[in-house]
Amino acid sequence: MHQTIPQQTLIDCANLTTREINQKLKALASENIPAVKLLNPAGRHNLAVGITQQIAIAIAGPVGYYCGGLSENINIEIFGDCGWSVGENLMSGTIAIYGNASANAAASAHGGKICIFGNAGPRAGISLKGATLIVTGNVGYGAAFMMQQGCIIVCGNAGANLADSIYDGTIFVGGDINSLGADAKLEPMNDTDWQLLEQELAALNISARDYNFKKVICAKQLYHFKAKDWANY
Amino acid sequence: MDSEKQVLKTSSTYTPEAIAAIQERAELGRYIIRGYGALRNVPRFDDLVFLTTSLTRLPLEGYREKCTTKTFIGTRYAKRPMELEIPITIAGMSFGALSYNAKVALGRAATLLGTSTTTGDGGMLPAEREASSKLVYQCLPSRYGFNPTDLKKADAIEIVVGQGAKPGGGGLLLGQKVNKVVAGMRTLPEGVDQRSPCRHPDWIGPDDLRIKIEELREATDWEIPIYVKMGATRVKDDVKLAVKAGADAIVLDGMEGGTAATQSIFQEHTGIPTLPALVQAVEALQEIGVYGEVQLVISGGIRSGPDVAKALALGADAVSLGTATLIAMGCNKPVYIEDYHKLGTEPYHCHHCHTGMCPVGITTQDAELMQRLPIDEATTYVANYLQSLVMEVQSLARACGKSDVHNLEREDLVALTLEASAMAKLPLAGTDFIMGQ
Ligand SMILES: Cc1cc2nc3c(=O)[nH]c(=O)nc-3n(C[C@H](O)[C@H](O)[C@H](O)COP(=O)(O)O)c2cc1C
Repeated sequence: MHQTIPQQTLIDCANLTTREINQKLKALASENIPAVKLLNPAGRHNLAVGITQQIAIAIAGPVGYYCGGLSENINIEIFGDCGWSVGENLMSGTIAIYGNASANAAASAHGGKICIFGNAGPRAGISLKGATLIVTGNVGYGAAFMMQQGCIIVCGNAGANLADSIYDGTIFVGGDINSLGADAKLEPMNDTDWQLLEQELAALNISARDYNFKKVICAKQLYHFKAKDWANY
Repeated sequence: MDSEKQVLKTSSTYTPEAIAAIQERAELGRYIIRGYGALRNVPRFDDLVFLTTSLTRLPLEGYREKCTTKTFIGTRYAKRPMELEIPITIAGMSFGALSYNAKVALGRAATLLGTSTTTGDGGMLPAEREASSKLVYQCLPSRYGFNPTDLKKADAIEIVVGQGAKPGGGGLLLGQKVNKVVAGMRTLPEGVDQRSPCRHPDWIGPDDLRIKIEELREATDWEIPIYVKMGATRVKDDVKLAVKAGADAIVLDGMEGGTAATQSIFQEHTGIPTLPALVQAVEALQEIGVYGEVQLVISGGIRSGPDVAKALALGADAVSLGTATLIAMGCNKPVYIEDYHKLGTEPYHCHHCHTGMCPVGITTQDAELMQRLPIDEATTYVANYLQSLVMEVQSLARACGKSDVHNLEREDLVALTLEASAMAKLPLAGTDFIMGQ
C-alpha cells in the first residue's frame, strides 16, 4: 500500500513485486499525484519502467537494470548507484543519478535528459537517438558507440574508442580522451558550443570553463561504402 | 588435340559463378551485397512426403469435413496471447526495405486472413498499424523508431536476436533507400548507407535478456506476448536460453530466410537450413519440458502449402513468410522487363532489393516505381496466396485423417533423401532406416 504524507507519497519496495511497484507508479501518475518516493529499492531491476504520464519519482537507494526505461514525461532522481541501461529508450523528461551508473547508460534514449553525478561505465550513450546525457565524472570504453543524434557531455575522461561509428550528434569531453573510434573526429570548440555547455552545466552548479572541453563529431567518412575504406573497419 | 578443342571444360573450382564473383569483388573492393536469401540448394521440406491414409487410417472428406486452423502464439505469460485464424503469419520486413504500398498491402492481407503481420527495422508505420488487425512490433538491435507509445499499440513484441539470412550480422539499407521519411523514422542523416547494429545496445547475454524481457513486460503490463527471433545456428542451446530468459514464443529463421540486403557470404555460408533447425528446436523444447507451452514459429524459404503442412507435422505451431508474400505481389514477375535489364538481371533471377530500384515497386522508396504496386491489387494477391496455402494445408491434413492442421505429426512423414532423413530424423521412404540412428 502507498501511504500519503504531506506533499509526498511513499512506496516501500521491500514487500512488493516489481510489477506491483510499477502498477502503483502508473496508477499514481494517472491520478495526477505529482511526486512519489520509493524506499528500499535494494538494487532491483526494472523500476519505474514504461511510465508515460508525468510524475516525479525519488528513489532512495541503488537500483538495478533499466531504471526509468521506455518512459516519457517523467522526472526521476536516484539517490544511489544504478545498474545497466539506466534511462534506456527514454523519450522525454529527466533522470538524475546521484551515484555511479553501470554500462549502457541512456542506451538508445530518444529525448529528455539523463544526468549522472558520478562515473558511467562502458558504452554510455550507446545508440543515442536525441537525448542529452551528462556525466560529471568519467565514462568507460565505447561511449557513444553508433550514436545517431543528441548530445553527450562528459566532464571527466573518456575511455577507449569514444564515438565509434557515430552517425551524428555531438560529444563534449572535459578531461582526457583515451582514443577515438572509427569515423569520429575532434572539431574545434566554438562560442555556441561553450554557450551550450555553460547553460547545461550551470543548471548543475558546474562551471563549464573549469574544464578543457573538447568536441567530438562524426567525420562522415563511413557514410557511404567505398572500396578504399576497409582499413577503417 | 582436336578432341580437346571440341569439349569445353568447366572447372569445378573456378565455375562461371566463382569467376564472376572474383571479378565483381576485384572491381568493388568489398564484399558483395544483395537481397533475397541463400541461392544454393539445401535439404528442404520438398525432400519429405506425407504418408496419407489408406486402410490403417481414415481420411476426412476433402470438401465437407471441417479441418480447423486456429492458432495461438504466446500463451505462456501474456494476458492476451496472439489468436490467429491460420497458422501462417507475415514476417517482419521493414518500412524502408519495403515500400509504403507493400507494407500496407501486407497488413491488409493479413487482416483479411485473420493473421498477424510484423513491423521491421524501420519502426511502426502508422498506416501499417491501421491496416493490420494484429501487429507484432519488433525490438531490434537498431531500435530505429522504437518508442513506448507504439509499444503500447502492439499486439505482440518480437525481440530480434538474429535473422536466418545473416545470423550474427546486422541489417543494411543502402543510401538510395534512406530518403527523408525513412531517415526521419530512423533518426539518421538522409542518404547514408545505414548499417544496423547486430548487437542490442542495452543487453548482451541471455541473463541480461531475461531482464530486458521483464522490462518490456512491465512497459506493456504483461498484456502481450514476447517472441524471441533468432537465426538458426546453435539451435538447441539458443532455444533453451531464450526459453529460460522468459520468451513466450520462439521465432526461428533458417538459412534460406530472405532479407532486403546483406553480404552474400552470410546468405550462403552461415546458419543451418530451416528443416534441421525446426527439428532441433522442437527437441530442445521437449528436452526442457516446455513443448506446447512455448510456441514455435518457423521461417525461411517457406513457399507452399506442403511446406507449411510439413513444418506443422514436424512440430511448429506456425510458420512465418517473407519473400513468398512479396513474390505473390509481383516480385520477379515478367513485367517492366527493361527495368530488370537496367539492374543487369531478368525476371525470376532478380535479387536486387538492396538497390532500391525494384522494377515492381515492392522494395523501393522511389515514388514512381511504387505506383506500379497498387495497394488493393497487392492486397488481393497476398490474401489469395495465403488462402491457397491454407487450403493446401487443410487438404493434406484431411488426407492424413486430421480434423485440425495442428494434429499433423512426425509419423505422417518420411524422407526421400538420406540428407533429409538425417536432418529430420525420419525414416527413408519405404524403409525403417533413419540415417544416423
Ligand atoms: C525485404 C525483406 C526485409 C526484411 N526485413 C527484416 C527486418 O526488418 N527485421 C527482421 O527481423 N527480419 C527481416 N527480414 C527477414 C524476415 O523477417 C524473415 O525472417 C524471412 O524473410 C523469412 O524467410 P523467407 O523470406 O524465405 O520467407 C526481411 C526479409 C525481407 C525479404
